[in-house]
Amino acid sequence: MVIGAAVALLIVLVLWSITATAATDPGTSPSRIDLPWLVLTTTIQAGLTMVLSLLVGTALAWALNRLRFPGRELIVGLFASAIVTPGIIIAFGLLAVWGRAGWVAEFTGVRIPIFGLGGILFAHVILDASFAARILLARLESVPDFRLKTGQSLGLSAIQRFALIDWPAIRPTLPGLGAIIFLLAFTSFPVVLLLGGGPANQTLEVAIYSAVRLDFDLRGAVNLALVQIAICAGIILLASAAAPIPANLGRSAPQRWRDGAWVQALQEAVLVIGVLGFGLPLLAILIDGLGPGLGSLLAQPGFWRSLWTSLAIAAASAVLTLLIGLTLAAARAASPGRLVKTGIGAPAYAYLAVPTVVLSLGFFLLARNAGIDPELAAPFVVVLANTLLALPYAVSTLAPPLEAIATRRGKLIRALDLSGTQQFRSVEWPLIAGDAGVVTALAFCFSLGDLGVIALFGTQDFATLPLLMSRALGAYRSNDAAGIAAIMLLLTLAAFVLIPKLFQRLGHARA
Amino acid sequence: MVKLLPVALAAFFGLAALPAGAEEVPILRIYTYDSFAAEWGPGPGLKAGFEATCGCVVELTTADDAIAVLRKVQLEGATTKADLIVGLDTATSAEARATGLFAPHGLTLDKLTLPEAWTDPDFVPFDYGYFAYVYDKEKMPNPPKSFEELIALTDDIKIVIQDPRSSTPGLGNVFWVQAAYGERAPEIWAGLKPHILTMTKGWSEAYNLFLAGEADMVLSYTTSPTYHQVAEGVDKYAAAIFTEGHVAQTEVAGVLKSSEKQELAQKFLAYLTSVEGQKLIPTTNWMFPVVDIGADLPAAFGEAPTPKLLEIDAADIAANSRAWVDAALAAIQ
Repeated sequence: MVIGAAVALLIVLVLWSITATAATDPGTSPSRIDLPWLVLTTTIQAGLTMVLSLLVGTALAWALNRLRFPGRELIVGLFASAIVTPGIIIAFGLLAVWGRAGWVAEFTGVRIPIFGLGGILFAHVILDASFAARILLARLESVPDFRLKTGQSLGLSAIQRFALIDWPAIRPTLPGLGAIIFLLAFTSFPVVLLLGGGPANQTLEVAIYSAVRLDFDLRGAVNLALVQIAICAGIILLASAAAPIPANLGRSAPQRWRDGAWVQALQEAVLVIGVLGFGLPLLAILIDGLGPGLGSLLAQPGFWRSLWTSLAIAAASAVLTLLIGLTLAAARAASPGRLVKTGIGAPAYAYLAVPTVVLSLGFFLLARNAGIDPELAAPFVVVLANTLLALPYAVSTLAPPLEAIATRRGKLIRALDLSGTQQFRSVEWPLIAGDAGVVTALAFCFSLGDLGVIALFGTQDFATLPLLMSRALGAYRSNDAAGIAAIMLLLTLAAFVLIPKLFQRLGHARA
Repeated sequence: MVKLLPVALAAFFGLAALPAGAEEVPILRIYTYDSFAAEWGPGPGLKAGFEATCGCVVELTTADDAIAVLRKVQLEGATTKADLIVGLDTATSAEARATGLFAPHGLTLDKLTLPEAWTDPDFVPFDYGYFAYVYDKEKMPNPPKSFEELIALTDDIKIVIQDPRSSTPGLGNVFWVQAAYGERAPEIWAGLKPHILTMTKGWSEAYNLFLAGEADMVLSYTTSPTYHQVAEGVDKYAAAIFTEGHVAQTEVAGVLKSSEKQELAQKFLAYLTSVEGQKLIPTTNWMFPVVDIGADLPAAFGEAPTPKLLEIDAADIAANSRAWVDAALAAIQ
């Protein structure tokens, strides 16, 4: 509860500090923006992204849940790593495959128009559907054995099996997941401009960026940010209200129940298309980055400094995210009414709705007003920002299983009169260790993502991998940038394969 | 506790803490954009060069781009720690001057080799380049020689530009069309529309789209092909020279009024515009130096074509830039 309030308070503080500064500066003037049009186009784009990503994500999770093959874990890791890879890298990976000079055009001679709404949706679905697949897969794998055994003995068809067993497992997660994807797409800005094909496709975020940077119209920026937050809050509240109480909890042994032959063929087809669609752009990034230019990158001391800085920040924000995420999700599960639940969960999402450029400005002003040297505050702000960014994923992943535990095992826990710590160690932890692993991996990798938040905090010495990459890109050093992108992708992949495995082991050990 | 915090922080993140007692040596704090201070940028060389003679320590503090640097100083106002800003340009200097935060530079700049006479009393130029559309000579043997020729090309010839609301070259492009065509500017923009592959957030996305082969031309600088010649030994890129002339981007530096080290800051400006300081610029920032550095200018810079200069009045920019941006965006919407 307190943490939920703190997260909300922080956002209020950020906006207030900017408004307060704007009030003392008479030099600002209003921007002229076609607001209704911007809101409409952004909403359509984000809505389409959300629907497509959930559909594709569900199909992928379904196929991955049923099939067993060597290298499966790598594929799962690959899917998960897309969302934490900076969108711009994914977009360039996409172009390397589908673009005018890409592989498809080279080998088939077919030119696919990738710029425009289609390209934006394609890139967003790669980013978001693969993430959705990873989260939904975790839910499918928590379907308890007895349900599967009953289902199998009843001889359910593939469709019945999905409707009766899978759907109840994934449904509670869909609203939260959908809200996250909507917010990501709504606030996406460099990718939308890169693939949008001109000013016909843009988001509200670009108008806010321009108000802050170009016009220095702080009050206008806050107003636009409030519009964005209001729309996104509507989506978040809708999602929270639509979320039913989850039915499943538990861990399942490796699946031995296979679907019929033609259904399996369909699953294989889904997976092959998925791996090609999602894997090829990532593969293009690796091929591009792990070329002969890599040696000169690895010889730079600045690269190694950035690598260690990135890893330290990633570790710090992963731990913090897991702690805050568990606390929020547990508080949500333990609270009685739906309204209170929403009140606790919603602030965690709000951060995604606040434009990066506004946050960066707000954090800068907060640090300054508090008398803290921005240069010294930079590492803390990055950890805090990355934690807040990962928090909605943590809450949406951890809340459904914890709520299921509270409904199903609440009486047992009360009957045994377990203390909070005992309850967590002996009941909850073994059941959620898998989800916690995914959350930790996500949070760990997020700090390899966007760093716009410290745009105003920079010093020469403090650099992370993404910052180093954007420096390289801005100085013609495309080879260095490609190398850093590939290394970040590999780190992410490793984190997503190793961290959940580690947590799974921890969960089993305690069980 | 307050004192422990930075120390713990520095230890935790492995950053070098300032040596104790460093206060006896004066510190010159320079705010600049991120890529200026990067390992391969001009920042480290200029810092070392100036520190060798000034008996001071130079500290570079960054923001992600030049406009952010100005905003940072504006937000900090008179309490800013910055002594100098390095990296504003002629498109933003009028706005910077209007903040009243900058002091006159006090230098006699009589050795400048800029394409136009320098009269600014506050800001000192330290490099320049011309905006230009860069193309691949192998793929485009007959590049357009004006905006009108570019418009007349078939629609499958694509250019990448930058959003004027988030990128300085993007903004420079708007000024360029405006300076060349005046009231006809919206008409030119409408003609460019079918050729615009996309409009990116920043220069780097656009330039990399071009390098990846997605577009035939990209809005950049006349010195961009020089980078490929000098640093990579690649000779296939060139800048298209337009007969209507080109707008130049001149990067400038200025001293803040609030600085207590006016004299030291002026000394840095003098060093920045000296032959010794300017020698560092061409192969780190990939722009032309503002004084004659003789044989230290790589030959490829001399080979870069010199376009006709389109002058554009700073007061005109300050008064009209928003209207121009709006008109350009409306024309290509």
